[in-house]
Amino acid sequence: MSNYIPTIGIEVHVELKTKTKIFSNSTNGYGQMANSLTNVIDLGYPGTLPTLNKEVINLAIKAATVLNCNIRKEMHFDRKNYFYPDNSKNYQITQARTPIGYDGYVEIDDDGIKKKIYIEEMHIEEDTCKSTHRQDKTLLDFNRAGVPLIEIVTKPCIKSAKEAKLYLEKLKELLFYTDVSDCKMEEGSMRADANVSLRKNESDPFGTKAEIKNIGSISNVGLSIEKEIARQSKIYDEGGSIEPQTRRYDDKIGDTVLMRVKETGNDYRYFPEPDIPFVIITDDMIDNVVKTIPMLPEERKEKYIEKGILEANAIKLIQNRQLSDFINDLLEEDINFKIASNLLLGDISAYLNKEDKKLNETTLNKERFIELVNLMSNNTLTSKNLKEILEKIMTSDDTIENIMKESGVQNITDDSMIKDVVKKVIEANKESVDDYKAGHDRAIKYLMGQVMKETKGSVNPKMAMDILIEELK
Amino acid sequence: MKYLNKNIEEIHELLKEKKIKPIDLVNEAFDNIESNKDLNAYITLNKEEAIKRAKELEDKEVDNILFGLPIALKDNIVTQGLKTTCGSHILENFIPLYDATIVDKINEKNMIIIGKTNMDEFAMGSSSRTSYFGAPKNPWNKNKICGGSSGGSAATIAARDLLFAIGSDTGGSIRQPASYTGIVGMKPTYGRISRYGLVAFASSLDQMGPMTKNVYENAILLNAISGHDEKDLTSANKDTEDFTRLIGKDVSGMKIAVPNYLMSDIVSEEIKDKIKETIKLLEDNNVTVDYIDVKYLENAMTLYQIIAMGEASSNLARFDGIRYGYSEENPKNIEDLYLETRGKGFGEEVKRRIMVGSYLLSGENAKTYYNKALSIRDDMRKEFKRVFDNYDLIIAPTTVTTAYDLTDPMDDPRKSFMDDILVIPVNMAGLPGLNVPVGFSKDHMPIGMQIIGNSFEEAKMYQLASFIEKKLNLELDPNGGEK
Repeated sequence: MSNYIPTIGIEVHVELKTKTKIFSNSTNGYGQMANSLTNVIDLGYPGTLPTLNKEVINLAIKAATVLNCNIRKEMHFDRKNYFYPDNSKNYQITQARTPIGYDGYVEIDDDGIKKKIYIEEMHIEEDTCKSTHRQDKTLLDFNRAGVPLIEIVTKPCIKSAKEAKLYLEKLKELLFYTDVSDCKMEEGSMRADANVSLRKNESDPFGTKAEIKNIGSISNVGLSIEKEIARQSKIYDEGGSIEPQTRRYDDKIGDTVLMRVKETGNDYRYFPEPDIPFVIITDDMIDNVVKTIPMLPEERKEKYIEKGILEANAIKLIQNRQLSDFINDLLEEDINFKIASNLLLGDISAYLNKEDKKLNETTLNKERFIELVNLMSNNTLTSKNLKEILEKIMTSDDTIENIMKESGVQNITDDSMIKDVVKKVIEANKESVDDYKAGHDRAIKYLMGQVMKETKGSVNPKMAMDILIEELK
Repeated sequence: MKYLNKNIEEIHELLKEKKIKPIDLVNEAFDNIESNKDLNAYITLNKEEAIKRAKELEDKEVDNILFGLPIALKDNIVTQGLKTTCGSHILENFIPLYDATIVDKINEKNMIIIGKTNMDEFAMGSSSRTSYFGAPKNPWNKNKICGGSSGGSAATIAARDLLFAIGSDTGGSIRQPASYTGIVGMKPTYGRISRYGLVAFASSLDQMGPMTKNVYENAILLNAISGHDEKDLTSANKDTEDFTRLIGKDVSGMKIAVPNYLMSDIVSEEIKDKIKETIKLLEDNNVTVDYIDVKYLENAMTLYQIIAMGEASSNLARFDGIRYGYSEENPKNIEDLYLETRGKGFGEEVKRRIMVGSYLLSGENAKTYYNKALSIRDDMRKEFKRVFDNYDLIIAPTTVTTAYDLTDPMDDPRKSFMDDILVIPVNMAGLPGLNVPVGFSKDHMPIGMQIIGNSFEEAKMYQLASFIEKKLNLELDPNGGEK
């Protein structure tokens, strides 16, 4: 491959996690019976008018804030006019001239090198209906029509497939953590288009770009960009030129394929939507939204490491929002966070996966978790014993201590009791005692094993060892 | 016995005293409509449902002044289960799934919807002759137009079929036909009445309003149909008020402006003379009337064409044959479905306006025309505000001529807009405007005067209108002389 400099811009559509649609009170839902979440407004019936869902404005403010965008204080909606059956009014209500957010950035970390991916603008619009083509017929499902979207457009500042993927991962993490969207690419609640062009030198003007539409996963964004760079390089190498076109990524063949050659000068006849008055965004509105923004992943990671959690575990926690939120709630507590994170990512995660439950669907609350961590930290509860009583811990409201008692897994911490057992073991294993006294350190391990056997593993190992050494003197 | 030629208070008394029942009024209205059938005022009658409703009301208490009274709606107001055609082939068999907010309000008052009135197709026209169902005729002279686009509503009120009708006014479509037929027509302030369920022509200009035989009944109906509606973001958040409250109050001391342009030589001498007579009458009653210059009035027509056609081209895009309305059978492909459905479904005037509107919004044109028009419209609003800093009301003729012949040529699009040249500035500024009859031409066709108020000052307009109505005491029943 020859050396060309790729220029990549990414447009992402994100469905907002609102209860109702943007311009009507129909439910915003996924996977329901076709056309069951629609009303006369979504269907563009004559005489209907849009209302404006305030939740949408608040989520958009939130997104703009975490994407470091400026927020427009006075904005309006515009009509984008085009005929297509997925568009019930034959115009889409969007923001062409006054996007709610502009001039933002997302910082990515490319193997330790930080880079800002600049965001040109971020605007609000309505989703279209879903069309399914069956032979010569097209079926229309308007459940998606009017679902609120934000479209986030980067500047053409991305240089590689890897940067594109890092950007999307970061974007997804931010929007997911702020509850703006559930960001499920497989359900279409996050969709990406990539614009790719090549040029020979930095000083050259941008090359002609091809747009790859509706890519279904972040890894496919990476693959399709690589394939597109290869395709365009080959054309340039052979002395050809690129024509502006729209392509899509075909998962089966692992390459981009032509959808259509772009008609020049799409004319959407934009004009300000006369049915929706200007929206004024006050500082109070912004402040109220900013207050609801939870701790972002970057900060969480720093905090976790500060508290002694291993970096690998910190990253894993962030990837699991419910566990991360759970631990965030404990940050002010004086507990062993290393043990806490091991517990959450180990036995507790395994339990949740097996039972297909969420953490908040179990009885493990903050107080009982603290008790559990402390019992583990001071060796009162061994990991082995934990496994036996985990189910009870996750399903009963009782204290961990009581559960231990009832299940008979209480560690023997009574000195005299341990002493009795140790004496009994010494009595019965004269040979090993002699070996130990003769300097064979291995013998004590055997004796210790016997103590454990005698107590069915319920003795505090550290205490037992101390007593054993003492008795052997 | 006839009741519907009486005033509302008399009818209300009779209903309250159980001397008549709603069904008597409903039957009479349908009899009147039947005997005036040649006026072609209606597209659809709601006979069965209206009779049923009247019977239901017999058991109910007469709880308000509009109780049991028949009302006609312009056929661009959406009525659940009752055909709503907008005067167009494309909606010829369209039966809506929901009621407009104004219909809910009418039902709350226990009024009875009698039918849907004839109109220019999608309210685009000034003589109701673009209706797919043929033009309505003027009760004063059946060879003449009754104006438009709310021609059917004007005709049925002028003919005294019933007391109440609703029209819609985007660029004069209530006031101009009211003037041509000698009735009272009010286009309230933009936002006064919810537009939810009014099939949109030009969203930033459309407003419905009452059409009645006299001022008091007009104000009573406005009381019932106005008010804030959450379903319409452009509806004004105003407290309800009694629009009749100033009727009968002394007008002496009022200051009134007459814009010179609206009395210039674009208006026929006959009409100007009649307006001058009315001005004289006002001055004799201690009202100050000043002729003043108002900027931008001569631009209103151009602004209107840009804004109304631009918005219309987008509003009418939804009629594509996919979800409702006329649909071309067995189209070759989606493109063919659009072209054939819209090509056959819309009439010539509508198609012309869609094409011009699309052009005006196309590419850079949107900036050159539509955005520029919006900005001049703002200036125009400010100019009107300036006038109202010094004057209570503005008066002017409503039309430049009286109603003309149905057979006059329709091929001059400028002519159609000229019919509305005096009424359009009001829509551009979002102001309330009202027509009150002030006399007749030599060939005994009605002449109307327009009263323009500051935003949300409809009550003051009714005050002046009712004063003029009372002083002139005109015989406004077209059949009055024959009785």
